[in-house]
Amino acid sequence: MSHSSSRTRRNGAGDLDRREFLAASAAAGGAFVLGFWLPSKSAQAAIVAGAPWYEETGTPEVNAWIVIEPDDTVTVRIAQTELGQGVWTSNAMMVCEELQCDWNKVRPQYASANRDARESAPEWTLNVMGEGAYDPAGGGEPLFRDREPVRGIPDSLYRRMRTNEASSVRDGRYYLQLAGAEARERLLLAAAAEWDVPATELSAKDSVISHRGSDRTTTYGAVAHLAAETPHPDPDAIRIKPPGEWTLMGREQKNLDVPAKVTGAAVYGIDVRMPGMKWAAVRACPVYGGDVESFDFDAIRDRPGVRSAHHLPIPDPSLLRGREFSGAVAVVADTWYQAKTALDDLPIAWDIPGDRAALNTAGMHGTLLSALSQPGRVRVDEGDVDSAIAGANRVVEATYSTPYLPRARMEPGNATVLVTDERVDIWIGDQSPQETRRSASRITGLAEQDVFIHLCHLGGGFGRNGNGPQAEQALMIANANRGTPIHLLWTREEDFIGTTYRAMGVARLRAGLDAEGWPVGLEVRTAMQEDGFGPTSSFDVASRYFTPNYRFSNHTADFHIPCGTRRGVGQAAHEFYRESFMNELAHAAGKDPYLYRRELIARTDLPHRDDMIKALDLVAEMADWGSPLPQGTARAIALEEKGAEARGTATISAMIHTVSISREGVLRLERVDVALDQGFSLINPLSVKKQIEGQIVWFYNDAMHQANTVLGGRIVENNFHRFSVSRLAEDPPEINIQFFETEHWMRGMGHDRATSVQSGIGDAIFQITGKRLRDLPFSQNDLSWG
Amino acid sequence: MAFDLEVNGTSFSVDADPQTPLLWVIRDQVGLTGTKFSCGIAQCGACTVHVDGQPIRSCSFPASAAVGRSITTIEGLSADGSHPVQLAWKEFDVPQCGYCQSGMIMSAMALLDKNPDPTDADIDAGITNICRCSTYHRVRKAVHRAAELLKGQGA
Repeated sequence: MSHSSSRTRRNGAGDLDRREFLAASAAAGGAFVLGFWLPSKSAQAAIVAGAPWYEETGTPEVNAWIVIEPDDTVTVRIAQTELGQGVWTSNAMMVCEELQCDWNKVRPQYASANRDARESAPEWTLNVMGEGAYDPAGGGEPLFRDREPVRGIPDSLYRRMRTNEASSVRDGRYYLQLAGAEARERLLLAAAAEWDVPATELSAKDSVISHRGSDRTTTYGAVAHLAAETPHPDPDAIRIKPPGEWTLMGREQKNLDVPAKVTGAAVYGIDVRMPGMKWAAVRACPVYGGDVESFDFDAIRDRPGVRSAHHLPIPDPSLLRGREFSGAVAVVADTWYQAKTALDDLPIAWDIPGDRAALNTAGMHGTLLSALSQPGRVRVDEGDVDSAIAGANRVVEATYSTPYLPRARMEPGNATVLVTDERVDIWIGDQSPQETRRSASRITGLAEQDVFIHLCHLGGGFGRNGNGPQAEQALMIANANRGTPIHLLWTREEDFIGTTYRAMGVARLRAGLDAEGWPVGLEVRTAMQEDGFGPTSSFDVASRYFTPNYRFSNHTADFHIPCGTRRGVGQAAHEFYRESFMNELAHAAGKDPYLYRRELIARTDLPHRDDMIKALDLVAEMADWGSPLPQGTARAIALEEKGAEARGTATISAMIHTVSISREGVLRLERVDVALDQGFSLINPLSVKKQIEGQIVWFYNDAMHQANTVLGGRIVENNFHRFSVSRLAEDPPEINIQFFETEHWMRGMGHDRATSVQSGIGDAIFQITGKRLRDLPFSQNDLSWG
Repeated sequence: MAFDLEVNGTSFSVDADPQTPLLWVIRDQVGLTGTKFSCGIAQCGACTVHVDGQPIRSCSFPASAAVGRSITTIEGLSADGSHPVQLAWKEFDVPQCGYCQSGMIMSAMALLDKNPDPTDADIDAGITNICRCSTYHRVRKAVHRAAELLKGQGA
């Protein structure tokens, strides 16, 4: 392999003096200075006080989550990333419910992944379970029990810094409530010490501490310095509030990140500016696993602003959960537009593996479909499904397909990295900074304790942003340009290469029905790319509906598309298969799809059976199920659940989708009714509603529009003119959401609700047009009728 | 090449290739980063700004074409979020990730300039920005609310 690259800098520009940077920061009184490096001499600096990342403060912290200023301003450190799900607000609510501070003076700030590498979590956070449902009291106790490490939740300072699996509340609530409670108790102890009274005579509300029996009051701000110096004598005695005692959580709170998002002041990774910063544009080999054979830097060397070009080898898959992306070329220039346009004209020869260049969607889909003719690896086998189906009164069979799908977040991948011989600084919106910290260490050779990740808001996540190699590529470039901050930014097209995909999948469902139409046996076979998203159980079409004989088996294929978590993960596809098939069975049995589901759930002994029935009944009532509809309009019902098979956390919902189709074939999702389990309590019901509204349209897009195809080994749809995203005109005019209480903690809200838009639209198309469509997306079909 | 641009009522001297899209001059030279890059092909609208009151997709609009014209970005509505459209957006807690919202708000503003009392159908037809979080449901409500607030202002 040959390539020419240059690290030569011209005009002496580009080197950031570390002292200058620190001085500039200090001059702004703690606010971060964003300096605009300009090609002209008219350099200017803008101070952005609203930068969301961690800052050292002059005020000592009460604990690692909480800093209270003398004026009662409370800074709450947030270890998850705000990507629209409301975690800045909900995490702060979990802390502040217990802290009992003035909510109007709360200011979230991202936690430090560097401190997380240097410090251990406080002992009092460690004995906390990650699965809230194991709390038998449904709330506060017992909290401290024998140490039992929680899977996937480290013991480092901020425990779990990932933002995925809709788990921020599920996994973080206990220790975030505890963090607030520990700080509150220490503030009370500090006031008690100053007044020389028992702490039990004190109470706290809205950052004011009052003494019963005297008129004395003080504020958190006044005693925070003493609380910060004084450890709690017995943190194991601290209990957290059960939902019945909550006054902040469980009530709608406006999101704290919103004001900065309507003025343009919110700082995303793309907005980071550094003195002396250079920009990098990147082009990766369009076939995954391919690399750069050569490129001719001389062709662009003299273009304005161009500094250097670099070959970026295929990022080490062990830094990216085993996923193999491509080798790439980066061009570094004074501005991104200079870098991007130079890269457009850079002659690059690719080294593409021939077998991969021969792959296309039709062939890959065919491989998966042909596998279904045989049972695959058996995952579940109950009873004797073959005999049951053979002896059935009637057999129904259907094969469904779901395509490769990207996340297509709005903010293209980017990261700003400064590597020196002493440390690494990274400014990035990142769903997994603990993993990015490891990448930084591995690529630069510096210790993780010397990696500083300055977290920014993320312009959409939809499945762990860090899956792609944006941070790794930026680290490689910055490591080759030590001393110069490098801001890497992908084009939209590059973002479609740097993402992972939801795996393409197919499923064949086959059921035998008895004379009354009830299933006596169900066989499910699926086929998908190997390790599409970890355990194949994600694609387990496990039956939630009673059948005495059931078998699920799956096949895997070895394709080269890097697959990973995407909103809804496997559940989005498997609920499409399952709920579509339930509609087909109900129609075949001549039964009402609502009552058919209800009866089959009632026949199970699943722990959350009654909650599922409740969801179906409530949504049927909300939508006035069975009432007449105009011609060309239909309703479809579906059940959605996560965790219904076991005791513990779960999320249960039922939805009814009302769909119209004109005779010309124009489909409109008219109305969605949602009955949603709220467990013991939601944290911020407003954010949950927003998530549901968003997920309805997300899965509407999956149902109607979106697919990525592969041609010549390359992803074809790589920008919004080919990859369709619905606009306002397709948003359902009516969305009704009702919550109902249940006796468990929630599994999560951020990603796997409203998957039923897919089966709902599919069944409405069948009811209105008589066409049974089983391959997504539906808009590839003629939907006209009459 | 050096030229002047008037952004949010202030004149800026910039130095760029005249074909550079206005978006990049606003972000990198004028230094206003509220206007966002997303698709680069005038599809998504995240980069929407006003030129002489008309909404344009600045990722595909040469900076030189804006010379001598009045450019308004999200920062030009108000710095403190007190513009009626911003107030309506906060009332309905519209943004999720927020990345598209500057463009969405500028498109809404342009619609309301032309049509102070839009119907749902007018809003659906008039705002074609992409929001991947799908905040559309609240955008529609907030546009109606903004229309009320603007009328109340006598605007």
